[in-house]
Amino acid sequence: MKIVIVGNGVAGVTCAMTARQRDPHAEITIVGGETDYFFSRTALMYSFMDRMTRRDLEPYERKAYAEQRIALLRDWVIDHHADAKTVHLSSGTTLHYDKLVLALGATPNRFGWEGINDVKDGLVHFVSMQDLDACERLTPTTREAIVVGGGLIGIELVESLLHHGVKVTFLIREPYYWPLALGREEGDIVTEQLRAHGVQVRYMEEMKRIEVDAAGRVSGVLTNKGETIPCQMLGICVGVRPSIDRLKAFTDPPQLSRGVVVDETLQSSLPDVFACGDCAEIQPIEGRSYVEMIWYSAKRQGRHVAANLFGDQLRYAPPIFFNSSKFFEVEYTTVGEVMSLPEGTPTLFRKHPTKPLCQRILHNGDRVLGFNMLGSRWNHEILERWIRERRSPAWVVAHLADAQFDVEFGRANLASCIQRELPLAKELAR
Amino acid sequence: MIRRTPAGLFLHDLKNRGLSAWTLSLLLIAFYGILYFGQYYWTPDSPCTDNASCYSEGAVCEAGACVRESQLERGQDWLYRTATVHIDELGWKLGASVDAATRPDGTLARDENKNGVIDNWEHFGNRWTIYGLLYTLGILLGGAWICFKYRHNRYQIIRTGVVMMVQTSFAFSLPILLKFFHKPEYYFSYMWPLKIDYLDPRNFAYYGEGLVLWGFFASLAVVPVMTLLYGKRWYCSWVCGCGGLANTFGEPWRHLSNKSSNAWKFEKVAIYTVMGVAFFSTALWFASAVLPESSSLHAAATGTRKWYGLVVTASLSGAIGTGLYPIGGTRVWCRNFCPMAAFLGIIQKLGRFRIRVKKEMCISCGLCSKYCEMGIDVRSYAQAGLSFTRAACVGCGLCAEVCPRGVLRLENSAKVDPQELSLVSFLDESWKGASSSVPAKI
Repeated sequence: MKIVIVGNGVAGVTCAMTARQRDPHAEITIVGGETDYFFSRTALMYSFMDRMTRRDLEPYERKAYAEQRIALLRDWVIDHHADAKTVHLSSGTTLHYDKLVLALGATPNRFGWEGINDVKDGLVHFVSMQDLDACERLTPTTREAIVVGGGLIGIELVESLLHHGVKVTFLIREPYYWPLALGREEGDIVTEQLRAHGVQVRYMEEMKRIEVDAAGRVSGVLTNKGETIPCQMLGICVGVRPSIDRLKAFTDPPQLSRGVVVDETLQSSLPDVFACGDCAEIQPIEGRSYVEMIWYSAKRQGRHVAANLFGDQLRYAPPIFFNSSKFFEVEYTTVGEVMSLPEGTPTLFRKHPTKPLCQRILHNGDRVLGFNMLGSRWNHEILERWIRERRSPAWVVAHLADAQFDVEFGRANLASCIQRELPLAKELAR
Repeated sequence: MIRRTPAGLFLHDLKNRGLSAWTLSLLLIAFYGILYFGQYYWTPDSPCTDNASCYSEGAVCEAGACVRESQLERGQDWLYRTATVHIDELGWKLGASVDAATRPDGTLARDENKNGVIDNWEHFGNRWTIYGLLYTLGILLGGAWICFKYRHNRYQIIRTGVVMMVQTSFAFSLPILLKFFHKPEYYFSYMWPLKIDYLDPRNFAYYGEGLVLWGFFASLAVVPVMTLLYGKRWYCSWVCGCGGLANTFGEPWRHLSNKSSNAWKFEKVAIYTVMGVAFFSTALWFASAVLPESSSLHAAATGTRKWYGLVVTASLSGAIGTGLYPIGGTRVWCRNFCPMAAFLGIIQKLGRFRIRVKKEMCISCGLCSKYCEMGIDVRSYAQAGLSFTRAACVGCGLCAEVCPRGVLRLENSAKVDPQELSLVSFLDESWKGASSSVPAKI
């Protein structure tokens, strides 16, 4: 069987590795134009901060691909014929497939800001290897930078720039940091961290116009408050969307909406064409379609699609949500539903009087629904199990220490956290 | 940018195998070379009347003393003399000054061997005292830096504190005190097979029955039991001086260890070979002690003592082990050659220690692998969601420290993960559960 996987990101490579486990004889080819080898996108910031070389970002030894007999092609797919079952590459090569997997990933969003078309240099995103190239090229000539967008990528870029001694202004449209995932209290802790590191954080402020110098390099940003902030580098981190633009020009594109529309078996509208990872928009039989755009789900979908390539017809259902991150020194773990719950959802909020340490436990009076934990390490597997087991909030609070995952001797002191009732409040912009 | 400043550029160069790193490495190797072998290579400047009365090759008589003919060799002589006689002298003076203050009878005499090197069991100062002092300072200053750098991590602070304490007491002050009181020089922080002399019957009379019994008890009871309970880390990163220096002074180079699977293959062959040689040598020494009339056994025992000392102790643990810090990372000795680490590693595989991996939370960033001083590709286990125990792991805890998603934790747990107890599992070091999903090392 000939399997062609488009995209050498985590979804594509996981799919290839899993398919190899399943079938020792399949002919597996990965086509990816970004880099020669799969790298960990999530670690871009550590490379930018000189903590890792680029080679260190590669999760598998290079010889692993040969050992697993996975062919890597550094190329872009430019066309697809569904009847002939072929994809056409920009180098002129044509690949025939029995099963095609689209693992195209995502592209950074850009909105119609005034002046964006005049920008020739100085504007960066922070999701691809080419973005890292640009960041490293621009940093030595940058004294002041502006990062737009208060999410995970934004704060990573801010931290990296600070490491290089750049003065950073962080423009955030929302009233506090990342209200999509954090409550006001957690957001404020992150804000404290940002300000302690010397970041100019500006909430409820948006970019209105980008200004450029004579050479076309970004020279400043006019905000909606009428102020012009000078900068030599502008980081745009306002989310990503499935990378499907290229597909629209194909002879036979699969059905597209926000992403590549797939059913619960991750199969697209075309026979033997699958999609997984950031680019897949999953349309369940009932309910709304969704796109999962995090590392773990890409890995999970990659594994899932590999099984379905061999006719398993497994239906994909995302497990209880979890995610983690680190804001400077403050670690963050979330499990279950948090900010997606309706306003007023009963919440136990526990916070240390002085340290950046807090736990938010959401429940419906009867059973816990979600956790937002900041400032210490947690075993999400246990928190997840408690949600599944429908544990009561009182029980969870009594057993909270069982789910701690801090280093030995370094267990966070939960007893010193002060607990109060704090029904969920939402302050999304607009 | 850190690298914009000259200091930043220099640090980057030093920490990433730049010119300064190579220079430092060569200097360190030369330092160990002179420390261990210097005394054998310099010409004593014995008095003479003419060239004929200088016996050493290439020596001439100048101003009533034998010196080498070429300037280069004179330079070498000067270096060797400085490193041995003069440094010995300095150490001896240090000892004597303490001595003079505390022992007014002044009974302490100095014995010199034919090269003028101070060679006396009783005095407590020579170049090894100076070396010990430097080593201890390295651990103390480096340790203070580690305690500051990882001040948010109590495991690192406590571990480093213990290492600093053990080095200052058991590995430095106590042996000096023992010598001062005319007791055998014994380092309680070292044991067989790392300190292979401690179970060499030739030395039993010198150490006395108490220390010999302790030596047996430490190596055959304390080591296995502690390792079964806590993993080899109790020794390799909490007690041992080699590990102590690596984790303190060596911090800037810890990321240089080779993570490739080929390096792992080399490690397995090399370390078990040295362990085999150490075990075999000890057996031979016992045999020659039991059968003193066998001259061939005696000759073999003498030969292995000499070669073991030369190759393993002086070259591999000293010159290569520490000398390669700036090039090969800090644990070249511990990872590839230390017989103690090999011994502890095998016991660790049977014990309670493991690195617990939270399932599915790894983002494959690779910081854990990058900062593993033992060259373990921690990421390959973390991204596969497999808790694991590797024989090499010294439990320094840095993988858990650097992990930005808190995926890893060191723990001792009575809970048994399925582990195949076979030769194959020792060599492949994979957990049984691994084969059901993605293998640890794809």
